[in-house]
Amino acid sequence: MAELIGAFTAAGFRDVQITHQYECFKGTTKEKTAQKFGVIGVNLSGVRA
Amino acid sequence: MTLVCPVDLDSMRLRREVQDMYARVAAAPDGAYHFHRGPDYAATMLGYDAAELATLPASVTHPFAGVGNPHAIAPLPVGARVVDIGSGAGTDLLLAARHVGPSGRAIGIDMTAEMRDRARAGARECGLTHVEVLEADATSLPLDDASVDVVISNGVLNLVPEKERAFAEIARVLRPGGRLQIADIVTGVELSEDIRRDIDLWTG
Repeated sequence: MAELIGAFTAAGFRDVQITHQYECFKGTTKEKTAQKFGVIGVNLSGVRA
Repeated sequence: MTLVCPVDLDSMRLRREVQDMYARVAAAPDGAYHFHRGPDYAATMLGYDAAELATLPASVTHPFAGVGNPHAIAPLPVGARVVDIGSGAGTDLLLAARHVGPSGRAIGIDMTAEMRDRARAGARECGLTHVEVLEADATSLPLDDASVDVVISNGVLNLVPEKERAFAEIARVLRPGGRLQIADIVTGVELSEDIRRDIDLWTG
């Protein structure tokens, strides 16, 4: 997540933050893989500097 | 989201496979996929308003395959010009159009023809004349510099191999002070080079 925030900040955004997290693969055939790699859905916000 | 793409990843093949995957979802949203779809999933797992989703055509909401909820970040201002990158069948796009109202504009961008067709038909069915759906991908947006108030996206940027190019495009089209409200997937561990190079894993 820090890498993603850093990439948007470098692209010209300020106040970049993760606002929500979701277990979007829960109950799918990829649930175990998602758990293994820590894959989650997130909401991210930022403001164009 | 994996930000670093292997230099030898076949990005054209990845693009084709992503298009094929989402064309299948558009045609058969109730088929077998490795990700959830549809309005029940959106409401129960992502916090969308079920009553609001029920006002949209099933042809729009059933192929929904988002991974988060850009609308939960902040309300879209009335009159805003909003762009949805990877708008798919149009769930987030048509919700955005309703929120900004007829004095605003909701522009969908998608590279899959079947999804664009569904979004356009859904907008017509809902009488949302301030919706426009364009063919493009996230790395080359057909929009003027600083012409957009809000960029939304849901589960799309993780599928783009040239992420830094996509981020630069988003920054280019947003006006200073404009808002980024996106949902996507992230990984909690560093992925090996083999995994990053495996197109089957990129597309699911």
